[in-house]
Amino acid sequence: MQLKPGAAQLRRRLIAASCALLSTPPARSQENPDPGLVGRFLQAWQFESALAYYHEDGRIQAVEPVVSASHDYGDGGNVSLNFTFDALSGSSPNGALPSHAPQTFTAASAKSFASARRVYTTAPGNLPVDPNFSDGRAAFGADWTLPLTRLSRFTLGGKASIEDDFYSTTVNIAFAHDFNNKNTTVSFGADAEGDIIHPVGKTPVPLSDYAAFSREGDKSKTGAGALFGVTQVMTRNWLTQLNVSVDRFTGYLNDPYKIVTVLAAGGDTAGYEYENRPDSRTRKSAYLENRVGGAHVSADLSLRYMTDSWGIRSQTAQIRMRLWSPSRQHYIEPTTRWYHQSAADFFNPWLAAADAGSTRYISSDPRLATFHALTYGLKYGYDLGDRLHRSNSEFTVRVEYYRQTLEVDKPVPVALQGLDLYPGLKAVFVQFGFSY
Amino acid sequence: MACPCEVLVYGDDRAQALSLGTMAAQEAWRVEHKYSRYRDDSVVAWIHGHRGLKCALDVETASLIDFAHRCFELSDGLFDITSGILRRVWKFDGSDRVPEADAVAALLPSIGFDKLQWEPPLLLLPAGMELDFGGIGKEYAVDRAYELLAAQCNVPFLLNFGGDLRTNRPPPQGPWRIGIERPDAEMTAAMLLDLERGALATSGDSRRFLLKASVRYSHILDPRTGWPVVDAPRSVTVAGSSCTEAGLLATLAMLQGAGARAFLEEQGARHWILQ
Amino acid sequence: MKRLTILTVLTLGCAALTGCSSLGVKPWQRDILSRSDMRPNGAGLDDAIDEHVYFSKEGSSGGRTFGGGGCGCN
Repeated sequence: MQLKPGAAQLRRRLIAASCALLSTPPARSQENPDPGLVGRFLQAWQFESALAYYHEDGRIQAVEPVVSASHDYGDGGNVSLNFTFDALSGSSPNGALPSHAPQTFTAASAKSFASARRVYTTAPGNLPVDPNFSDGRAAFGADWTLPLTRLSRFTLGGKASIEDDFYSTTVNIAFAHDFNNKNTTVSFGADAEGDIIHPVGKTPVPLSDYAAFSREGDKSKTGAGALFGVTQVMTRNWLTQLNVSVDRFTGYLNDPYKIVTVLAAGGDTAGYEYENRPDSRTRKSAYLENRVGGAHVSADLSLRYMTDSWGIRSQTAQIRMRLWSPSRQHYIEPTTRWYHQSAADFFNPWLAAADAGSTRYISSDPRLATFHALTYGLKYGYDLGDRLHRSNSEFTVRVEYYRQTLEVDKPVPVALQGLDLYPGLKAVFVQFGFSY
Repeated sequence: MACPCEVLVYGDDRAQALSLGTMAAQEAWRVEHKYSRYRDDSVVAWIHGHRGLKCALDVETASLIDFAHRCFELSDGLFDITSGILRRVWKFDGSDRVPEADAVAALLPSIGFDKLQWEPPLLLLPAGMELDFGGIGKEYAVDRAYELLAAQCNVPFLLNFGGDLRTNRPPPQGPWRIGIERPDAEMTAAMLLDLERGALATSGDSRRFLLKASVRYSHILDPRTGWPVVDAPRSVTVAGSSCTEAGLLATLAMLQGAGARAFLEEQGARHWILQ
Repeated sequence: MKRLTILTVLTLGCAALTGCSSLGVKPWQRDILSRSDMRPNGAGLDDAIDEHVYFSKEGSSGGRTFGGGGCGCN
């Protein structure tokens, strides 16, 4: 098969033709004018945002928008800012037990039953919940990473949060160093937190009688923690991370709105007392995470074990699997989480009247009980990089179902038979996300 | 581009590497969006929407048509950007569904660059015909992105858009090491080449082919007959000063079928062929 | 407490082992590891939101990062 003109000339002419093609002025200069100040700002920063909606069956619901912005400096430094808003409303359990008789409670701001502007009654058999719970929160955080050498960096960060009844500030520092061609990273961090608790209706005196409305002033708590972690690249497809951490909080650790049902000898409700928790809590945890991935699939498996000085021991296992479409245009990511915790030493669903004088710490808050919880979720992500001409740009939506099942192993007094004392929790969570 | 694209930059400045990568990515997207036959906002879609009418092409598109014209002449009709309509009957999905001879023959009257009316900058695409820049689009994108990066910096970099590469200079410790995939086993390089500067383009049938009665039909179709080239090598890699040039030579070599090696030797181009 | 000590020793042991290890990859083999779904804190925002929900409904927090709450949801 002959190619005209002459074989040897073909390549020369092809080179000439290519040069002619490539020497036409780049179209870019006409089609991509200077982006301007806003354009350049958008190019320099990466944004992530999410709108989450949380709804507990018959209890509280929350809407939470979050926005974060991050900027990389040329030398490996980085600054990132985030804003979170939280709006909660609905019914929140007040810690008392269901009863065969109706129960009446006041709003937290009341000074006595007589003068209370708002009173709520729980029907027989129902879990006592305050139906007018509402809370708003605004939080802001910033982190700044400074490279120290080619292989190590220092991070300084802080956050502040404001709610109607709670103010918090946190400061954190961290140091990380890479070894082995950046295959191993060792990091060490510490944080300190200071909170002011300013409950609606003032702080109830712990263990005082609910009907006495005894109050005291604002409270505070402080905490400090340290974390040590190692991240290791195992193979081209596998990364592992192990963190060990400890923290300790001291001060007012009670939930100011939670009460405990006091039961008389036969099991009838004799009244309520405000809860009381120890004024210090030390927690230790170990966390192991493995990420494995291939061209179109990746999985994240994590395990956490935690113990604390209140007697709570918990185990958490979570697995997430991301499955990309062949074109990597979108993905789905199912996830499952299993959680189990054992109760705090002072957890008790009720207080026997006979023990009232000698009990120093008690709380019926189900979050301190023995329970297991399961989460099932599915996330869908759509890559917008192609459309928006930005890498790491995507739209996501995820839906999760969370269910807590309490395991309280206490003989039920006669007067409380036939009641669903520990209903647990069922919640649905939906989140939309957009990153640019 | 329908393939993974990467930019390798040698250096210490992460912000510069990110900025070069972004620049290359945006140029790749620009070229792809402008010449994609899948998008309804591309120049190709606009030309297809004006069949039978004279379209005034912009400078870039006009020069691409000029280039395609020259290649059509130099290759005696083997390289033809109007041959895209053959994909209506040829679906290279690894099955044995080879089209009927009549179906292929029916498309031939609508193929042929010489049937276009090209008087720069005016192009008239007759009814029933289609333009497809798939044969040169990727290599052109590499060259365009290369030029933008080369004008911007002096650090060694390598562009790799799905096997079409170009680099400006080697890193200090030696040439870039390029692995050419063995056609049957993904991700295990069959050959390692050293690239110091210039471009490499690979043409191959490892993923798109039909297999019927032990005859392997490569996805490289001869526009003059409408049928695949017989006995084409599994993979041809050619080095050139630009990716467009290397890509054209690789495609033309595949179109020679069994004569690929002889063709490339005649051209004096550095080449590597895997059977 | 004892279990935690064992785990801490294991961590330090791993760190020491990896000092002379053959574990790891060459710089040009980081294609998959550089993807956001393979980075240790790749799902930052999702994780932060999850952490907040679980902190307010369970008795544990932290692990991946610090355990402090920063909010009154206890």
